[in-house]
Amino acid sequence: MSEQTRRGRAVRWGVPIATVALVAGAIGAGPVIAAVQGDPVLPERTAAQLLADAVRATESGVKPMSGTVMQTASLGLPGLPEVAGMGGTSPAALLAGSHELKVWYGGEDRFRFALPGRMSETDLIVNGDQAWLWESETNKATRIKGAGQAGQDHDRAMPMATTPQQVADEALKRADAGTAVSVSNTEKVAGRPAYQLVLTPRDGSSLVKEVKLALDGETFVPLRVQVYAKSAAEPAFEIGFTSVTFTPPAPDNFTFTPPAGAKVEEKTLADLGSRPEGGQERAEALKGGLTTVGEGWTTVAVLPFSTQDLKGPAQRQGDRPGGQDAAVVTDALLKSARQVSGAWGSGKVIQTKLVSALLTDDGRLLVGAVTPEKLTEAAGRR
Amino acid sequence: MSTVSGQETVSIGTGAAPLPRARAVGALRAWLRLLGSEVGLTLRRPRNIAMLAVLALVPVLIGVALRTFGGPDETDGGPSVFGQVTGNGLFLTFAALSILVQLLLPVAVAVVAGDSVAGEAGLGTLRYLLAAPAGRTRLLGVKYANAVVFCLAAVAAVALSSLLAGVLLFPAGPITLLSGGTIPLLDGVLRIGVVVLYVTAGMAALAAVALAFSTMTEAAVGAIASTVGLVVVVQVLGVIPQLSVFQPYLLTHWWNGFDGVLRDPMATGEMGQGLLVFAAYIAVFGSIAWARFTGKDITC
Repeated sequence: MSEQTRRGRAVRWGVPIATVALVAGAIGAGPVIAAVQGDPVLPERTAAQLLADAVRATESGVKPMSGTVMQTASLGLPGLPEVAGMGGTSPAALLAGSHELKVWYGGEDRFRFALPGRMSETDLIVNGDQAWLWESETNKATRIKGAGQAGQDHDRAMPMATTPQQVADEALKRADAGTAVSVSNTEKVAGRPAYQLVLTPRDGSSLVKEVKLALDGETFVPLRVQVYAKSAAEPAFEIGFTSVTFTPPAPDNFTFTPPAGAKVEEKTLADLGSRPEGGQERAEALKGGLTTVGEGWTTVAVLPFSTQDLKGPAQRQGDRPGGQDAAVVTDALLKSARQVSGAWGSGKVIQTKLVSALLTDDGRLLVGAVTPEKLTEAAGRR
Repeated sequence: MSTVSGQETVSIGTGAAPLPRARAVGALRAWLRLLGSEVGLTLRRPRNIAMLAVLALVPVLIGVALRTFGGPDETDGGPSVFGQVTGNGLFLTFAALSILVQLLLPVAVAVVAGDSVAGEAGLGTLRYLLAAPAGRTRLLGVKYANAVVFCLAAVAAVALSSLLAGVLLFPAGPITLLSGGTIPLLDGVLRIGVVVLYVTAGMAALAAVALAFSTMTEAAVGAIASTVGLVVVVQVLGVIPQLSVFQPYLLTHWWNGFDGVLRDPMATGEMGQGLLVFAAYIAVFGSIAWARFTGKDITC
């Protein structure tokens, strides 16, 4: 082989190497471009000004918009099994991994949420007093009556899959004397410059390190909420827009006619919220026995409870969608529980990144976003 | 294989053309003629015809099975798309493609693309093809284009046979989308066309991988087996939850990402990303194949 061919061959192999470098560069280009462009700088605002602006923007009505919301949870649930056939729409599935939600918002009583799964989709379409829940997996359309006037109740009925707005409201309510609040004006969310409100609990026994809330720099719509746990650098829970446009969505997004061949059911909101077989009474009883210890970030809720209570409803729900998953999750959680005891008695502790729970042997359940030590302390305080 | 016609066209392409423009047109025409003869040979080969026939048979089998035994009950938790087939025949296309794209289509593509260079080398016909000067890049281009045409033929065979079987065995009519909306039949057929093109792009990316392997060996079986083995290994890696970080970079992850066409409005985001991944694979493995093939000593 001559010197020349050898050199020619080396040059030739430079081409695939350059291509690999190019592809790697393209993958890594996003952060680099963002770094070169620099952080967006918005006019400075204090936390109070920012919140006032946000409230004003909310009062005047959120602008019509559409976008994609990504929800990521890594709550550190111990040994959560892969539930067979667990689609993207199962409530238990939302507790781990990333989920995409499409949002079309045309106004207070005109919106559509779509939760896409592999070859399936779950849609919630609200248009005035018309509300439909469409599940393609089971080919079922549910007409929800009385959704128009009871929007508030509705928000509470779906605490997981909601828009960042609703999650943000919840986070804002908690800000009080026990919280250090700071604002930065150099965030960028879904390609838009944004303010970021950082809420840091002052109490050391809280498992929450900080809550970050990003508000759009122009419309003050909450674009992202991140909850950081003390034990991890990545957010334990995050919900935020990955893309958003503030233009009114096409009207056909808000119309829904059940397709031919689909099962059509009618339900009222009360039906959806209540559990069968006396679940209502059980919920009432639980509410009656609920007490709280402490305040702010380290509030601990104390409930009368026993393991049988936990298993009972979960098993009975087996035939309902998601019921099976709930039972599996419950089992997994109970298996991971750690036995603890002290002057207050003994019980089982379940710890995740954000929440700890203590099931005492004398039939109490203590839950809070605090360290297990704080829970046992609360258990001693009858 | 294509030795005789190949040499003929190459000599026409390089020989007669005084003007640069005319020469370019002539070269293109010669290239297309070479491709035409290559595609003709590929599609006339009994082995390839048999593979296409098997691919076209699977949707018919699925359709007959669903017709005979009925769709899965929703309590089974099986993929809902099978249930939808019984309601609308056009869904058979989506069901069939999402199954075949996992293994059978990749195997067929790997056989043709993996054989393309290694097969000629193994039979000793490659050196005749390469007798013409400066022909290697062009020859590789023809081999790859031929593999892509076969990808399209294979995907189209599946789509057409399942369309036909679906319409004959089940009621056909306006399609219910995953979002619950309904689109007219013709619109549905157009969307199937989009899916066919997307799946073809995915298979073309695999063909680039197989072609790269094909330039590295003289045993066609080696190139085919390593491509198929790679597909299986990557698919296993793709379902391990602990490795989910790597999923977006795996070729197989994107192959059945075409369910966006069944949403309203059509969700193109995932397909767009998929196409970018396919393009990246084609660029990387295409350039590897080129570097290997143009620098190779061909003695047999």
